[in-house]
Amino acid sequence: MKNSISTPTDRLDGPEKASGKAVYTDDIRPEGLLFARTLRADRPRARITAIRLPEIPDNYFIVDRNDVPGRNRIKMLEDDWPFFAGEVINHVGEPILLVVGPDREKVADILNSIEVEYEDLPPVLSIDDAIAAKSPIFGDDNCFAAYSFRKGDPDTAFSTAKTVIEGEFKTGYHEQAYMEPQGMIGSYKNGKLTVTGSMQCPFYVKNAMMQLTGFKEDAVQIIQATTGGAFGGKEEYPSLLAGHVAVAAIKTGKPVKLVLERGEDLAVTTKRHPSVSRYRSAIDENGRVIAMEADITLDGGAYAGLSAVVLQRALFAAIGVYNIPNVTVRGRVMATNHVPSGAFRGFGAPQAFFAVEMHMEQIASELGMNPLTFKEIHLVRQGDTTSTGGVLRDEIKIHEMLAKVLKMSNYRKKEGIFASKKGRFRSGIGLAIYLHGCGFTGKGEEIIKGTATIRKLAEDRAEILISNVEMGQGAQTTLRKIVARILELPIQNIEYANPDTDRVPDSGPTVASRTVIIVGHLLESAAKELKKRWNESETLSVSKSYRHPSYIQWDQDKLQGDAYPAYSWGIVAVEVEVDTLTYETAVKGVWTVHDVGIAIDEEIIRGQIEGGILQGLGYASLEVMDTADGAYRQHSFTDYIIPTSVDAPVIESELIDNPYEYGPFGAKCAGELPIAGAAPAYAAAVSHALGIEIHEIPVKPEILIKRAVK
Amino acid sequence: MSQIIQFTLNGTPVSLESDPMRRLLDVLRDDFSETGVKEGCGEGECGACSVFLNGKLVNSCLVALGSIEGMNVETIVHFKNTPAYRVIEQAFSDAGAVQCGFCTPGMVLAAYALLKNNPHPGENDIREAISGNLCRCTGYNMIVDGIRLAAKRGEGKW
Amino acid sequence: MVKSYRPRTLEEALKIRSETRCIPYAGGTDLMVRYRRGAGLAAGFDQPVLFIGQLAELTQIYEKNGELTIGACVPYREIIHQRHTPEILRQACELIGAPAVQNLGTPGGNICNASPAGDTLPPLSVLDANLTLQSLSGERNVSILSFFTGPGKTILRDDELLTAIHFRLPHFTVEGYRKVGTRKANALSKVSFAAFMLKEKEMLADIRIALGAVAPTVVRSRELENRLIGQPLTDLAKLLPEILESYGKLILPITDQRSDANYRKTIALRLIENFVLKEES
Repeated sequence: MKNSISTPTDRLDGPEKASGKAVYTDDIRPEGLLFARTLRADRPRARITAIRLPEIPDNYFIVDRNDVPGRNRIKMLEDDWPFFAGEVINHVGEPILLVVGPDREKVADILNSIEVEYEDLPPVLSIDDAIAAKSPIFGDDNCFAAYSFRKGDPDTAFSTAKTVIEGEFKTGYHEQAYMEPQGMIGSYKNGKLTVTGSMQCPFYVKNAMMQLTGFKEDAVQIIQATTGGAFGGKEEYPSLLAGHVAVAAIKTGKPVKLVLERGEDLAVTTKRHPSVSRYRSAIDENGRVIAMEADITLDGGAYAGLSAVVLQRALFAAIGVYNIPNVTVRGRVMATNHVPSGAFRGFGAPQAFFAVEMHMEQIASELGMNPLTFKEIHLVRQGDTTSTGGVLRDEIKIHEMLAKVLKMSNYRKKEGIFASKKGRFRSGIGLAIYLHGCGFTGKGEEIIKGTATIRKLAEDRAEILISNVEMGQGAQTTLRKIVARILELPIQNIEYANPDTDRVPDSGPTVASRTVIIVGHLLESAAKELKKRWNESETLSVSKSYRHPSYIQWDQDKLQGDAYPAYSWGIVAVEVEVDTLTYETAVKGVWTVHDVGIAIDEEIIRGQIEGGILQGLGYASLEVMDTADGAYRQHSFTDYIIPTSVDAPVIESELIDNPYEYGPFGAKCAGELPIAGAAPAYAAAVSHALGIEIHEIPVKPEILIKRAVK
Repeated sequence: MSQIIQFTLNGTPVSLESDPMRRLLDVLRDDFSETGVKEGCGEGECGACSVFLNGKLVNSCLVALGSIEGMNVETIVHFKNTPAYRVIEQAFSDAGAVQCGFCTPGMVLAAYALLKNNPHPGENDIREAISGNLCRCTGYNMIVDGIRLAAKRGEGKW
Repeated sequence: MVKSYRPRTLEEALKIRSETRCIPYAGGTDLMVRYRRGAGLAAGFDQPVLFIGQLAELTQIYEKNGELTIGACVPYREIIHQRHTPEILRQACELIGAPAVQNLGTPGGNICNASPAGDTLPPLSVLDANLTLQSLSGERNVSILSFFTGPGKTILRDDELLTAIHFRLPHFTVEGYRKVGTRKANALSKVSFAAFMLKEKEMLADIRIALGAVAPTVVRSRELENRLIGQPLTDLAKLLPEILESYGKLILPITDQRSDANYRKTIALRLIENFVLKEES
C-alpha cells in the first residue's frame, strides 16, 4: 500500500521561480555595488616573475593575496588550496588577482591591460605523468591520498582460480553544468563580513571565511541566495569565490559581486574526477567470482580539495552490489596540474559503478554467460558483509526490484531479439544495479554532529532552522512536509528561509544525500517533541543533534566496519539504437526501480531520479570534456554538450517501499543514487547492440566506429 | 557612440540613450531590473534569457539593443500577469516541472510560444519547442508533461 | 564603442556600405557570440555596425515561375514555414539552433559568415543557388560555390551586401539531408550532407552532392558528379570506390573539441556511398 506521506504536494518554491521573482545571486543589486573580475593564469605550472599593472583610476582596485587578512588557504581537509595564487601557479585558470570597480566596462579594460610574466615549470598533465613523479608537485610521489583494504583471503582465491579475468576501465571529466553559474556577493560593514551567494554548504563557507580573515565567529555571516542547481559543484568551490568577494569587500568597504561567466565556470570550477580502474577477478569452475581486486586511480588536479573523501566513496562502491567472498580494493588520487577535481553527485561512486558493472559484463561475456544472469547469482543479500566488513542489516529488496524492471522493460525478450538483429540500425539493452551509501562516509556524521531546530511562531506557525539549502532538489517542500505532517499543520504554516548562518544552527552541509535521512530525521524528532510541548509556551524552540546509532561501527584507520548507516538501491535498464552508418546512438527507453526507503514526495523523487538518470546518460554519451596543455578543450555550452529535450528519453520509473527505522517516515537517501547506474547500463546496451566490449565513457561515435569497423 | 533607441517594453514605450551594441539581456537586467530574464550561457545555447521580440521567442543575449528600434519586447515580468501564464504555471507545478528554477521563466515562455501556434502539440512538437532551453535538473520529461497538461487545460487561452 | 547605422531602406544601407567599412548585422546570432565580451559588457565589434535585419527589401521570401527567392535577412523560421522551401533546406534550417535562434538567424548571415560548418551551405549548394550581391554601382549574381574563398572568407566586397538567394525549385527523384551533430538538437555539425539524384530509365540522369564541416569551404564537385551521371544504375556500385577515393582528396577535415578528422572523413564518405547506393541518408 502506498504510504500517505508520499502523495505529491505542490512544490512551494514553484511559483516564485516560474514567474522570475526568485532572487538568485546575480539578481541582488545593493547600493554602491562594485563588480569583480578575475585575472587568471593561462598556463598549467609556472612561477610568476612579474605582474605589470596599468594605472588604476579612483574607485578601482586590485585585490590579491597581499590583501588577505588571515590565511590564504581554503579550509578543507588539507589546507593546500590558495584563494589567490602564490608565487607559483599550479593550474590553468588559477586566480591571481581581482580587478574591482563600479563600471564593468572599465573593469574589463583594466583586466585586459594587465601583463603577467611567467617562468614556466615542468607540468604534470596526466595520471601517468603524476605516477612517474619526475618533477613532483605534491609530496615526493604526487599522491594526495591512497587507501587499501581487504576482505577474506584473496591471495588464496586467486591461486586456486580456474580463470582470472582482467580489465581496465576509464571515465572522463564530467561537468555539473548547473544552469546558474557560480556567484557571490560580499559586504563588510562595522567589522562584520557578510557573504551571500549560490552554495550548498553555508558553514563550509563560514569556516573558510574565518580562516581567511582571522575574524571571530560572530563577525562572519553567510547567507544562501536562491541556488540554480549545484549537483556537488557548489559544495567546496563557493568557498573560493566567497573568499574573493570577502577580501575585496574588506579592502574597498563596499559590496562586491563576482559572478562567473559560463565559459569561466566551465574552465575553472571543479568537475567529476577522471578515473582509470583496473579490475581482476578470480573465477572458479562453477563460473562464480571467488575473488575480485579493484585498483582505482583518480586525477585530483592541482589541489587536494575533497579528493580523499571522493576516493573513499569510490573504493567503498568498487565491488558494486555483489557478494564476493574475497576482495582487495586499492586506490589513490594523484596530483596533476589540472584544474582541481571535486564533488559531483555520486562523489566517486559513478566511476566505480561504471568499472565494476562493465567488469561483470566483461567476465560474463568471456565466460560465455548471460550478463544479467551472471550478475544475479552474485547479488548481495540481507546479512551479507560489505567489502569493508560492514553488515547489510536492513532488508534488501533487489530481487523484487529486478523482477519489476525486467517486466517493465520486457528485458529478456528484447535481449534475445536484439542480439539477432541485422542491418543498419542495431538495438541493444543493458542493465545496471547499484546502491548508494546514505549520508557521510565513515565517521563524517559523528564529526559534523548536525543540529536542527524548529521554532514555534505565533498563529500556529513554526520555522525550520537548519543550514541545509534548497538548490532544486526539493528540500523546501520535502522538509516542510515532514514537519507539517508531525505538527499537524498546513505545510504553508511551516517557514524555512534560505539559511543565514546568523540565524540557523549548523545542521551540516547539503551533500552526500544526507538532507532527508539525517537532517530530516533530526527535524522529525524535533517536531515530535515540539508537538508534545506545543502548549508549553508561546515561544518555544526544540533542537536535536545527531547521535550516531551505537550498532554502527567504523574504524577510519583500517577502513573496516559500516562505511554508511544505510543504503538506497536502484536498477536501471537502458535500450539504445545505434545507427551503424554514423555510429550515433539514440536512447529509446529507460526503465528504472528504486528503493529510497519511503519517498517523502513521490513527485520530487521522480524529479531526482529522472534528472539523475539523464545526467548519467550524458556522462556516458555526449558529455566530452578533455584537456590539452592542462586546459579544458571545451569552452562553452556549444562545445560541452549536455542533453536537450530531444535527446532525453522517456523514463518509466517506479519506487518500492522499504522503510528505514532511522529515517523520517522511513525515508533513506535519493539525490545521488540515480546517477550511478545510467552510464554502465548505457554502455552495456551499446555493447549488446554492437557485440563489442566497452571499457570507456563517454562512448563517443568517434571511438565506436574505430572499434566496430576494421 | 551612444544612440537613442526606442522600443516597447511590456506594453510601455521606452527610450534609452545607450550603446547600441549592448545585449538586450543586459539592458533588461541592468536598466529595467528585469531579473527574471537570466543569463545561463551568453551564447544562445541555454534559453534562460528567452524573451518575446515582436511576439517571437528569441534569446536576448543574442540581440543587440540597436537592432530592436521600434520593436515590442515582452518578458516574463509582463507575461506572468496573463491567464495563459497561470495555466502554464499551474500545469508546471502539477507535473513537477520546476526544480532549481533557473531555466523555468525561459521554459515557460518557450511553452507559450509553442502553444499559441500549436494548441494541440504532439510529444515531438513539445520536445522541439523547448530544445533550446537547457534544464539540468529534471531530465525534461516532467516539463514535457507540464506542457502537455497546459495544452489540455488551456483550451482557448492562447 | 563603435558607431552603428540603422538604415530604413536598402539604398541607404548601400550608401553607408559605399562610404564606410562596416559589419553588416542581420540576425546577430553568430556575430553576438563572436564579439561577446561577457555579462554587462557591450559586444566588442571592431568596426562600425550596419543593422540590416529590418530592411523590407531583404526580408521577402517568394516563389515565382518555379524560382524561390529568399531575402538575405529572412529568419530561418520563415524559411521553414514557406511551403515552397525544398525539404533538404527545410531540414537544415530546422536543425540550426532551436526555435529562439531560428527566429533571429538568417541564411544571409550563415552564408556571409562562411563557416565551414554553416548548415545552409550544403543544401543551397546542391540547389545550385545564386546569390545577389548589390552595391550602389550595381548588382552581380554569383553561384554560391564561387562565393567562398576560405573559412570566414568570401568574395563579398566592402561596398556590397548579399541581398537575396535564389534557385530553381528542384525536380529530382531522390533527395537526402543528414546532419551529424554533437547531439540531436541545437547542435553544431560534425559533418553535414545534402544531395539530389534524378533517375530515369535505369540511368542516373543527374546527381548533386555537397558536404559541410569537412573542408575549409563546402565540398561540391561537378566533375565527380559528372563521372556518375549517365551511368546505368547497375554500374554505380562498381564505379563508386574510385569516385569515393577522389572525394577523399577533397575532404580535408580538422580535429577539434567536437570531433576528429578521421571520423569526419569516414562519415562523409559513408554518407555519399549510402545515398548513391541505398538512397538513404
